[in-house]
Amino acid sequence: MIEVAGLEKTYGGFSAVVDSTFSVEDGEVFGIVGPNGAGKTTTLKMLSGLIEPTSGEARVAGYDSTESAMRHHLGFLPEESPLYEEMTATSYLQFFADLYEVPRSVADERIERALDRLDLDHRDRRLGDVSKGMKRKVAIARSLVNDPDVLVYDEPASGLDPVTTNSVLEFTRELREAGKTVVFSAHNLYHVESVCDRVVIMNEGRIVARGTVDGIRERHGETTYHVYTDVPPEVGSGATAVDANAIGDAEEVGDRYRTVVPSMDAVERVREIVSDAGGTVVDIRTREPSLEDVFLDIVGRPMPGRRGGAESDGADRDAASPEGGDRGPDDRTEAAPSEGT
Amino acid sequence: MLVALSLLAVAGGVLGAGAATDAVGLDVDRDVYRVGVDPASPYADAVESEPALTAVPIEEARLGTTADLIVRGVRGGGGDLADDPADVFVRAVDTPKGEAAAASFREAVDAHNERLMAAEPNETAAFPVVVTLRYASRGSALDEGSTFGDASTTGDGGSGDGGSGDTGTAGDDGSGDGGSGDGGDDESGGSEAAAGDGSGTGGGSESDDSDREGDADGDGDANAGEDASEGDGSGGGGGWWPFGGDDESGGLAVPSIGGGAFGADSTGSPGSITPPFPFASLVLAFAFLVPMNFLAQAYGSSVLEERTNRRGEPLLVTPLSPTEIVAGKTLPYVAVAVAVTSLIALAVGGGAVSVLAVLPIAATFLAATFVGAVFARSFKELTFVTVAVSVLLTSYAFVPAIFTNVTPVALISPLTLVVFDLQGEAVSIGEFLFATGPTAIAATLLFGLGLGVYREEDLFTQKPVTRKFLDALAVRLSAVGEGVHESPPTGIAARIPGRARGLVAVAFLTACTIPFVFVAELLAVAILFALPVTVSIPVLLVVIAFIEELAKSVHLYAGFERGVLARTDRVALAVGLASGLGFFLAEKATAVVQAVGLTELYVGRAAFGSVAGVSGLSPLLLAGLFLAPLALHGATATLSAVGARRDRTKYALALAAATLLHAAYNFGVVSLHG
Repeated sequence: MIEVAGLEKTYGGFSAVVDSTFSVEDGEVFGIVGPNGAGKTTTLKMLSGLIEPTSGEARVAGYDSTESAMRHHLGFLPEESPLYEEMTATSYLQFFADLYEVPRSVADERIERALDRLDLDHRDRRLGDVSKGMKRKVAIARSLVNDPDVLVYDEPASGLDPVTTNSVLEFTRELREAGKTVVFSAHNLYHVESVCDRVVIMNEGRIVARGTVDGIRERHGETTYHVYTDVPPEVGSGATAVDANAIGDAEEVGDRYRTVVPSMDAVERVREIVSDAGGTVVDIRTREPSLEDVFLDIVGRPMPGRRGGAESDGADRDAASPEGGDRGPDDRTEAAPSEGT
Repeated sequence: MLVALSLLAVAGGVLGAGAATDAVGLDVDRDVYRVGVDPASPYADAVESEPALTAVPIEEARLGTTADLIVRGVRGGGGDLADDPADVFVRAVDTPKGEAAAASFREAVDAHNERLMAAEPNETAAFPVVVTLRYASRGSALDEGSTFGDASTTGDGGSGDGGSGDTGTAGDDGSGDGGSGDGGDDESGGSEAAAGDGSGTGGGSESDDSDREGDADGDGDANAGEDASEGDGSGGGGGWWPFGGDDESGGLAVPSIGGGAFGADSTGSPGSITPPFPFASLVLAFAFLVPMNFLAQAYGSSVLEERTNRRGEPLLVTPLSPTEIVAGKTLPYVAVAVAVTSLIALAVGGGAVSVLAVLPIAATFLAATFVGAVFARSFKELTFVTVAVSVLLTSYAFVPAIFTNVTPVALISPLTLVVFDLQGEAVSIGEFLFATGPTAIAATLLFGLGLGVYREEDLFTQKPVTRKFLDALAVRLSAVGEGVHESPPTGIAARIPGRARGLVAVAFLTACTIPFVFVAELLAVAILFALPVTVSIPVLLVVIAFIEELAKSVHLYAGFERGVLARTDRVALAVGLASGLGFFLAEKATAVVQAVGLTELYVGRAAFGSVAGVSGLSPLLLAGLFLAPLALHGATATLSAVGARRDRTKYALALAAATLLHAAYNFGVVSLHG
């Protein structure tokens, strides 16, 4: 459905996107992640025909992205959702349906369906008087009025509360089930992990990793083991090379101590040390690397808008819910930094 | 609708204020000077009739305290004034205000006397000599080395056989023969003796259309008129105008706005006859302009708002082209402009010509505002832009229209057509196209310029205005030279071979600047034509050289800066020559100036000399003169291009050098023309 080959965009001497090549299959949700200035938004805007590439080609639904005919097959959601605030949700969506030359009866049915699915209340209230979440939903509904094959969403859940965020993510999954192709960028990697079939990670205009979330995790991340003990495993003077390299400092979690180690050999060594000290291993958990860990590993810096970066964020989640696994929705309000490119 | 109503209210306010001012005068002029005068004296009536004067009973009047001026009879002692004016003395307080009071009193008495004379049943007795004035084009008089008011214009006509003879036979019974007063041999279109009409109604002057077209054939077509104020021309009678109603001194020749306003009477002493001036029509024509300023403000705000809050971004993803989006944005404002203009035309008595003439002005207001709103980064910048647009366009439209009945230069403004229309004068197709063409084309090109950057990368970024301007120009160029990325050509460009495509684009873009060059040069002519020739011509030649050199090279600079043109001397040479050729070809289109007689003006010839007719020269020299501009434009554009391909400073220096070279050429051409 989408073929991108050698796509580049330069502004003067600055390269916003460099030799970007990827493809997106029909009915796939494709994620683009990266830090600010990585070239995500520029890539999405080139796919949408908003920005003309300096070189390379992007084909969407069989059309070159610069062709106006392509736009009949595309729904675009920009990072921000400024609307015509004097209009109501219904009149606003009808206005855009008219621009796409959608017959009025068809448009009415589509608009009604989208508004119902997105739980849009106050659809006859001025858009200037509705909440940010409602505006975002109206903007999402706008991207659907022409019943496009391809949806390009730039930070669809940006700045929304957790309930609305989950609603939007769930809606994205439904779009995939309905056969739509979705290209999706996000700062919050959990959002990407939870809905995307495949992702690319961009940094400084280049794609630095690509594949399924699991595939990238396998290639770029390592499984770790969290060993909970009732005494701290202190490596003594007789420590082996394994001890020194693999067994880090223990972290006190409640009345227990957590030691993160990279292998089962190291787990066994912790068990021995603790046993020598008169203690026992209380629990052992396996932790798969999150996309955020991979991102940190590749890009070398934490995701923007994250408190303390990915590393501490993972620790926070552990501490808050040791039994709940290491992956879960981030329930904190995320800042909505604007992207420079 | 609300906007339309608001604009109508504004226009109505202007009209109403004008009408009220006309009816009752300006309140600030009232009761400025206190005059001690006996209520029973005839001077009291004169004081009473002058709003600026207020009468103080003579017994209460004390100079410097209760009165600025005292009028009393010498022999009467108290308040009795003698019948003989020689026995009246007027004493003013010895201050500037006293002097002003005396001057105002003198004018009041003159005006009062004129009214009394006009009320005489036997008008022949009151005005024993009636002169019909016919105003000739200022330009033609200058061309012939003559001036208004000389023997050739007034001697033969003013005291000609018809005038004096008939006056002698009319008169007593007030129903004289109304002689036609053929001015006879008035070859220069000067004044002409007319009837000493017994009824006294034929003494006004009126010029025919040929006057304002610069026709100086003097065919004696000055029919008895209704009103001197409806006539045209300058000079002629007004000796009191401080800058000189005649042009003998080469001084400023701004027409009077005195007695001719709102159809004032034409009778009076020679000193009180003022040159005709279409004050009423001009004020009413101005009412058409006022709403445009507000319309432009609203339009600019709307465009910029869509940019600053990015509301327009989703529109760019729809199948609509930028042209369609802008059209959808603009047409409602055009509709409002049409509606408001039509209603104003109905209100002031204008016709279709007025509406059609104002529409290009409205389009130019909107187009210039559109470009400003696309270029501006903030409402602060937009405010600067819209104010600049309002001032410049209002000046461009209004100032030339002041000279509607004076000189063909006035026709550079479409508003002049409105003045003609309101005066009930016919407008030829040629005049209409000349007046409206440049503004209409300029509006189209301005919209084209703005559309060049009506795209995501420019609309929603904070680039400085100058950078966006260069972007807008560069986007209209095609790549020239090795190593420059070339976009796939579309439309007509696809049919042009690759190497030539860039040069054709350069030439075409240069040609597109001609309407702006033309407008700028006309504006320069309009501003400078009233100055003495010794000043206006040299300044004009340099200004025009700069305008043309800038037009030929600024887009080349943009092309080099934006990487559309390769930075090599070879490319600079090629695009410079292409630009010169484009300018030369487009400049020939300005031959339309001859259609309205603009080149009959001295400064008009200086500005458009290259296209004005040249006679009496050999064919070889004529061919040389025809091709000389091509060589000039090619050489100077290349010079600028070579500077532009390096950097901004070099471009500025090269542009200055090209301007000097061009100005020198202009001096040569003017000298050749004589």
